[in-house]
Amino acid sequence: MAAGVAAWLPFARAAAIGWMPVASAPMPLAPREKRRTQDGFIIINVSGTKFQTWRSTLERYPDTLLGSTEKDFFFNEEINEYFFDRDPDIFRHILNFYRTGKLHYPRHECISAYDEELSFFGIIPEIIGDCCYEEYKDRRRENAERIQDDADDENNKEGVMPDMTLRQSMWRAFENPHTSTLALVFYYVTGFFIAVSVIANVVETVPCRASPGMIKDLPCGERYALAFFCLDTACVMIFTVEYLLRLIAAPSRYRFVRSVMSIIDVVAIMPYYIGLVMTDNEDVSGAFVTLRVFRVFRIFKFSRHSQGLRILGYTLKSCASELGFLLFSLTMAIIIFATVMFYAEKGSTASKFTSIPAAFWYTIVTMTTLGYGDMVPKTIVGKIVGSVCSLSGVLVIALPVPVIVSNFSRIYHQNQRADKRRAQKASKEAGQAFLSKTNLSFEKEHHHLLHCLEKTTNHEFVDEETYEKNCMEVSSVNPPGSRCSSISSQHGLTSTCCSRRNKKTFRLPNSNMSGSHAGSLQELSTIQIRERPLISNSRSSLNAKMEDTVQRNSEHPYVTSAIISIRTPPVTSREGNNTSDSPDYSQRNIVKVSAL
Amino acid sequence: MGIQGMEILAVGVVLFMFMAVLKQFGVLEPMEDSSESDLELSTVRHQPEGLDQLQAQTKFTKKELQSLYRGFKNECPSGLVDEETFKMIYSQFFPQGDATTYAHFLFNAFDIDRTGSIRFEDFVIGLSVLLRGSVHEKLKWAFNLYDINKDGYITKEEMLAIMKSIYDMMGNYTYPSVREDTPFEHVEKFFQKMDRNQDGVVTIDEFMETCQKDENIMSSMQLFENVI
Repeated sequence: MAAGVAAWLPFARAAAIGWMPVASAPMPLAPREKRRTQDGFIIINVSGTKFQTWRSTLERYPDTLLGSTEKDFFFNEEINEYFFDRDPDIFRHILNFYRTGKLHYPRHECISAYDEELSFFGIIPEIIGDCCYEEYKDRRRENAERIQDDADDENNKEGVMPDMTLRQSMWRAFENPHTSTLALVFYYVTGFFIAVSVIANVVETVPCRASPGMIKDLPCGERYALAFFCLDTACVMIFTVEYLLRLIAAPSRYRFVRSVMSIIDVVAIMPYYIGLVMTDNEDVSGAFVTLRVFRVFRIFKFSRHSQGLRILGYTLKSCASELGFLLFSLTMAIIIFATVMFYAEKGSTASKFTSIPAAFWYTIVTMTTLGYGDMVPKTIVGKIVGSVCSLSGVLVIALPVPVIVSNFSRIYHQNQRADKRRAQKASKEAGQAFLSKTNLSFEKEHHHLLHCLEKTTNHEFVDEETYEKNCMEVSSVNPPGSRCSSISSQHGLTSTCCSRRNKKTFRLPNSNMSGSHAGSLQELSTIQIRERPLISNSRSSLNAKMEDTVQRNSEHPYVTSAIISIRTPPVTSREGNNTSDSPDYSQRNIVKVSAL
Repeated sequence: MGIQGMEILAVGVVLFMFMAVLKQFGVLEPMEDSSESDLELSTVRHQPEGLDQLQAQTKFTKKELQSLYRGFKNECPSGLVDEETFKMIYSQFFPQGDATTYAHFLFNAFDIDRTGSIRFEDFVIGLSVLLRGSVHEKLKWAFNLYDINKDGYITKEEMLAIMKSIYDMMGNYTYPSVREDTPFEHVEKFFQKMDRNQDGVVTIDEFMETCQKDENIMSSMQLFENVI
């Protein structure tokens, strides 16, 4: 509960007087409050800068240094102030946290200095308010990365750590080429061979001068087939060796095999091997030729060498939905215009627009303002449509692209923020738990207020599981077809499974059930205890005893607030249960209520 | 000619659909008035009367008034509590149920001059009655709370509304669970006790008389004296 709301608790309690005339049961006693000493000033001297505040402000968070008695260690009797030899600028924010309940992070402060102050004063950073939380986490992450980088540099300078296995050092060499000379050499060699392979693929198709005796120009690949084949073989061998080495060195082979880079590697070298296997068969040579296209994937192997390519790939991946939408809307526009164009040009003779799909080409070329001119409308309507098409092409393509770019940028950052927030949520829970440790006296008074409400209406608060369990228990104990209706009626309006009548018969099986289900026995005793306030309605002889206990309750509701014993030993005799449990009643009630 | 006309018609239809597509893009949206930016000059502020006047009107000491005002001002810097804020604050104390209806009645009980917002004076005067007033005054305040339309009579409907709102605060998960007619039965019990002449309404005199005879009620009235 917010600290500010605590200020309204006296008001809420005073308003509870409105329930008194209609209360069904006498009210519990108010918690014994220590005579409130007049709230006094407290002066905190932080390196000469004096801060003053009320004592009650600091006592709001008893888990911190300032809120507890720990500050007494810093009390200086000569000046009659609490003296801290810390940074006063940062202390200002810490004190504001007590005043407003929100902790802010000043942007101009160094993150490590701030963290130190927070830990000194016993405040966990997770309670930083939402307005400053992201900034704080970002700075912290950067700082951690910086420290990590420094540590890595240290490691690298020392050289290979002696206790790394060969496999680990190999993997490290593959991932960070700068770690050792050998890794660097390997890196450059593979890079060189990737380039050679790609260039060979390209040059293969260039027409060379025809060999003497031939008329036509041959592509170089066919002229110097053997040379190119040897080059290809060499490259593929290097790639295969590299892939196998990576596979051996990978810490998690399964994960490595599934990674994008390894798939690219495999796709790059597969055509060669397939080609080796299938050279004789003429039928599949067409497919074989197609496979050679995949050799171009070798160029993607460069992405291991280039950081920028990796970022671009990631960018496209995360922007995929936006691009997909652009593509979809373009497709819609193309289809619409192609259809219109086709029907407009249907009448003209020797029209190139033979079908709608044929008109697709025209539409695309026009909309992207390429305008090859191979297909041109001849009718007037066609020309009108064509002009509308090209104008709208500008709009359709040029306008959304910056929108998509900025959209992408925004969504990318938003996603990052959402992911960050999700990741930070867990630690924020911890922060909330810290904040919720309010004054014990506040808790007591709040519980007393809720207790009064229970007495007014003669009903008790239970939490959801016990509520369900109650209905469940009775339905299991009572014979089928009993009055207990289905659990699904949460409101229990028609359900009589928790009605008072059943409770009387419910008590009898207590002794029978002792052997069957230890857990349910615990529940039974729980339910038994809760019957107490209903003494006004039930008239069995047992209740004579219960009346005594209730009387005792109203006089000493908080006899032992420290001891909270839930586990009562399952005693089969009802009397034993009743009397032994009566002092626990109030604590159990407190426990239940504080489960809110 | 007929075919050509239909073609032109088809072309027109397709063009219209295309406009719809562009609208989808947000490119061709008809210019709508951008809503005025929410520059509400929320300068509805209220400053309370002087400390001395308040001290004369209530039974609090100066220091108590000071500490009350500090808490009040922290929560409501504008000096006024409107009904929504009031409901929100009050609901925080009863997380299991729905306290808004009862908070509404409570708000009306505090907002004596029906301005729609509680000023600090209303707040403090109400608190003074509740905490420092005589039992007679407290009972009168409670009667005022139950009398929703402030006509001097509590009818069964008014009582039922109040009772339902109290049971609403309990929420769904109670033991025993609240049935449909539980508030109604409770109201019946109350009326049986209070309504002396059985005329279907409870006047302030009947109310006072009955309460003063009931020692439970009388003792519970003293319950919250040490709250501040």
